[in-house]
Amino acid sequence: MNTRLLMTLRVTVATPQSIGAVPHGTRRTVPLMGGEFEGPRLHGTVLPQGSGDWLLLRADGVLELDFRATLRTEDGALISMRSFGLRHGPPDVMAAIARGEVVDPAAYYFRTTPRFETAHPAYKFLNHLVTVASGDRRAEGPIYTIHEVL
Amino acid sequence: MNARPLMRLRLTTAATEVIGATPRGTLSVFPIIGGSFEGERLRGTVLGGGADWVTAPSEGTFELDLRVTLETDDGALIHMTFTGVRDDANHYFRTLPRFETAAPKYAFLNRLLAVGIGELHADGPVHVIEEIL
Repeated sequence: MNTRLLMTLRVTVATPQSIGAVPHGTRRTVPLMGGEFEGPRLHGTVLPQGSGDWLLLRADGVLELDFRATLRTEDGALISMRSFGLRHGPPDVMAAIARGEVVDPAAYYFRTTPRFETAHPAYKFLNHLVTVASGDRRAEGPIYTIHEVL
Repeated sequence: MNARPLMRLRLTTAATEVIGATPRGTLSVFPIIGGSFEGERLRGTVLGGGADWVTAPSEGTFELDLRVTLETDDGALIHMTFTGVRDDANHYFRTLPRFETAAPKYAFLNRLLAVGIGELHADGPVHVIEEIL
C-alpha cells in the first residue's frame, strides 16, 4: 500500500460527556475546542462548533471512534471531515492514557479512516480520497497523522 | 503507513439494478451472488445475498457502500462492509473494509482497519485488502 502525507491534525478536547451504558457499549461524546492542521497541500484550523468525537467502548474492550470536524483552510474554504476509527491496547497502556500520561503511540492501536467533503474548487481533490490516519492520544487531545492512500 | 496483506477478494455480481437519479446522484445496486477470498490467515467463499450500493455523483465517479457475508473454509461467518471510491478518470479505486465476526479464531478482524485496492476484471472486481498496522 503506497501512501503520502496529507496532513497532521491536532485537536484539543473539551470536557467529555459520559452518556453511559447503551445497548452496544459505553458511550462518551467528546466535543472539540479547536485545533489546527498542516500539510503540503492544505493548512488551517478546526472549528469548535459541530466538531467532536463520538466514542463507543465495545464489550470486547475496543473503542470505536466516530470523529466529525469542520476544518477551515487558511484561505477560507470549509471542509467537512468524518472518520471512523478504532483504539485498543494492553489494559495498563489504556489506563495510562486515561490518566492523561504521555504514552508511546506504538504501544497501542489507534487508527482512523478519514473522508472529506468540500465545495471549494481548490480542495475538491479531497472529495475523492481514501485516507488512513494513525493517532497519538495526548492529554490535551489527539494528534492524527493522515496519509492519502495512493 | 505500514500494512500487511489480509486477503484477495473476488466478487461475482449479478445484473445491475439501476435505481436511477436520486438527490445524491445516480444509484445502482450491484447484487453479489458469490465469490472467494484468500489470504494467509483466512480463506473461503462469499455468500450470495450481499450487494454494493453505488452512487455516482458525477460521470465516472462512484461512491461505494458494500455489505456481504464471507464464509471461511472452516465454517465461520464474517460480516464485511466497506465504503470507498472509484474514480475511473484517475484510475483510483480504493475501499475501507470493516469486519465483524463472532468466531474466536477470527476475532482479530473485529479489531483492525483495512484498505482495499480495487481492480476491474471482466468477471467482476477484485479487491486486494491490506490490514493497516
